[in-house]
Amino acid sequence: MKRILAAALTATFLFSSALPSLAIERGGTMTYGRYADSLFLDPVLNDANVDIWILTNLYDTLILPTDDGKGLKPGLATKWNVSEDGKTVTLTLRQGAEFSDGSPITQEDVKWSLDRAKNPDNGIWNFLVQSIDTVEAKGDDQIVLHLKHPDPAILAALTVFNTAIMPKKAFEASDGKTMREKAENFAQHMVGSGPFVLKSWDRGSTMKLVKNEHYWAKGEDGKPLPYLDGVTFEVLPDDATRILKLKSGELDGAELIPYSRVKELQDAPNVDMKLFPSTRVADIIMNVRQKVNGKDNPISKPKVRQALNYAANKKAIIQVVTNGVGSPMSSYMSSATPLHTGDGKAVYPYDLDKAKSLMKEAGYPDGFKTSILVLAGSQDEIGTATALQQMWSQIGVKLDIQQVDNASRTQKYRDGNFQMRAGAWTDDIADPNEITSYYVYSPNIDAVHSGWKSDEANKLYEASQQELDHDKRAEQYKRIQEIYNSSGPTISLYESPYPVALSPKVHGYVQIPLGNNIFRSAWLDQ
Amino acid sequence: MSFASFIFRRVLQMIPTIVFILVVTFVLVRLLPGDPASAILGDRARDADVARINARLGLDQPIFVQFLYFVRNVFTGDLGNSISLKVPVARLIAERLPVTLLLTAMAAVIALVMAVPLAFVSALRRGRASDVVVRGAFQVGLSMPVFYVGLVLLIVFSANLHWFPVGGYGDGFFAHLYHLFLPALTLALSLSAILMRNLRAAVIGVVGAEYVDFARAKGLRSRLVLTRHVLRNALISTVALFGLQIGVLLSGAVVTETVFAIPGAGRLMIDSIYGRDYPVIQGLTIALAVVVSLIFLATDIVQAWLDPRVAR
Repeated sequence: MKRILAAALTATFLFSSALPSLAIERGGTMTYGRYADSLFLDPVLNDANVDIWILTNLYDTLILPTDDGKGLKPGLATKWNVSEDGKTVTLTLRQGAEFSDGSPITQEDVKWSLDRAKNPDNGIWNFLVQSIDTVEAKGDDQIVLHLKHPDPAILAALTVFNTAIMPKKAFEASDGKTMREKAENFAQHMVGSGPFVLKSWDRGSTMKLVKNEHYWAKGEDGKPLPYLDGVTFEVLPDDATRILKLKSGELDGAELIPYSRVKELQDAPNVDMKLFPSTRVADIIMNVRQKVNGKDNPISKPKVRQALNYAANKKAIIQVVTNGVGSPMSSYMSSATPLHTGDGKAVYPYDLDKAKSLMKEAGYPDGFKTSILVLAGSQDEIGTATALQQMWSQIGVKLDIQQVDNASRTQKYRDGNFQMRAGAWTDDIADPNEITSYYVYSPNIDAVHSGWKSDEANKLYEASQQELDHDKRAEQYKRIQEIYNSSGPTISLYESPYPVALSPKVHGYVQIPLGNNIFRSAWLDQ
Repeated sequence: MSFASFIFRRVLQMIPTIVFILVVTFVLVRLLPGDPASAILGDRARDADVARINARLGLDQPIFVQFLYFVRNVFTGDLGNSISLKVPVARLIAERLPVTLLLTAMAAVIALVMAVPLAFVSALRRGRASDVVVRGAFQVGLSMPVFYVGLVLLIVFSANLHWFPVGGYGDGFFAHLYHLFLPALTLALSLSAILMRNLRAAVIGVVGAEYVDFARAKGLRSRLVLTRHVLRNALISTVALFGLQIGVLLSGAVVTETVFAIPGAGRLMIDSIYGRDYPVIQGLTIALAVVVSLIFLATDIVQAWLDPRVAR
């Protein structure tokens, strides 16, 4: 009996002590295949996703987004509090947190970083924190933000990459005459506050990150994160090569798997095919100006836009373009965006008869000719446009597909010199205000350069930007979505997850709905 | 005219060619619709952001002012900074161009190794089974698109047999050679087919010439006849073709570098054109123009050595 007891105790002891090491293994370098290289790893001055999705591993923000992309969790601040009138935010800075060179993260660094982020001359993201008037360091560990007006999205904004905390001294000590030159040099020899640091970077080929030995967060085993010794990014623009390299075991992860290959990889034995929920939406944006190139524009009539919407069979497009991976959109914003309204069904269900009668009412019983700009070489956009070409021929609309490259396309729609274009969007902030400012609020960029305008929606948006009452703000967004979805310049097609293929030995890696690749808690079977 | 003055004259001829290419490239990239700011900002481009970027880059200046600045900088050895990558263009070229040159050189060597012996076999056994098989095989190599051949080689030799890595460039010279073998072979297939056909025809022509009959009549061994008389004379036109094809090879490297994920100049050029990265496009064009001119010069020299009449 005693013996059995002893054996049982030993077994229990062994089992329980073995548990943590069974759960998580430390060490190793994860190799991750990307479709394109980064351009400029500066939290404030970057312009593109290829930078953003790496930056969140190099610099921490005061508040971090949760893995579902909607909530907040402590980052370099442990606590935060918004005053009753909504005009003061007080944050408590984490004690003992250090930059990757071992120097302490001070109130001065935080103030300097936030001042840099909100400077209207710096980059394209400062609008997210335009409500901040001044940043004050108070007491030993407090940071106080004095706002120009109440801002319901200010806490969410403090999770966005551009408010990341950088080391003031190391930055200012970088080579360069101007702040911009300093930023360019600092980006190549960075000192950061995130779980990893940049070790080396062969442009267009490989980027090596190694673990930040001074990182503050602890893992499940009570020791500091990250679990990995490093992450190596390889730039592999060709989809087929990226997948081959993963399958042959040369990569531990590969991003942006084409939808057409998802099923095959789900069935492959040595691949863990992930579909991470995202805020990505795909749509068609129409130029609704009265005249385009001096000619009358049929799409300026709301009824024509509704007809085009009804005649577009989203279910079929989801099948054809995303191989069933996507889902229909019930609003212009993704269902993962806070304050989204809708029931998961398409805004305009497929209804050919209704489309035909709307065309007749609008005065185009025989249809018209129009054109769409798609990105040259983009299978998704070309597939979508080809499907629409067929669908709209049923209501007499002849669609001419024009393939152009990104810069030409941007130029054309900035000039208002287009009829339709394929578009896509991913949120950077857990709030509906970012997409709404671009899609709906016309003073920003003419409602994604469509020329669409609603005074009511503009007023509602302005009010919602200062509305602290959650229910009232939800009401405002409900109405904005009603207006836009019924008369707006877009055809909402589908929302789709991030398709990432991993090796089965990878655990704990996540791409959150805002697109951030989170390697902080990733680990590998050794 | 001496051999040296022939070379000197050819080098002088390179200068106006390169200047012409420079001017055309400078104007052409600015005639493309869209500008660096549009390429960088994409969907979210706001007029104020675009204007700020263009002002910072000096793109709000008249085009001839930009050109004067550019020429002045080129003559002081400054090719400027990449707009999208924020690093000096000279550094990018120094990193990327050698990769492409190594790839092209390997492809050229592989192509020659395959083409020359087989051209002889094919020509000397004209109409026989071996001739038909060799010509047929090269015809298949010539007709398949580069990206397709590349993928097939990757799937067979890398993914399934694991003989070679799936793309990449590796660390260290021998790793580079190992990584570049499949892409070089991909490029070499179509080049060797062209060279083989040309050389085969030339050999057939030369073998029937009277001076070859005479050499044989003199009692020279047939191997000496083949190397000293047939090969040397048959190579004259093939060397000219080879030089021209190296230019084609450099452009073929663009596709190959993408499929095999090689960080070479071809991919840099494509990315820069999409990104409207004017300084990189200009700098890389100058570098490539110099390289191609030097290759043409080298071919001319080899031709002049094979056939001294060329230098006259």
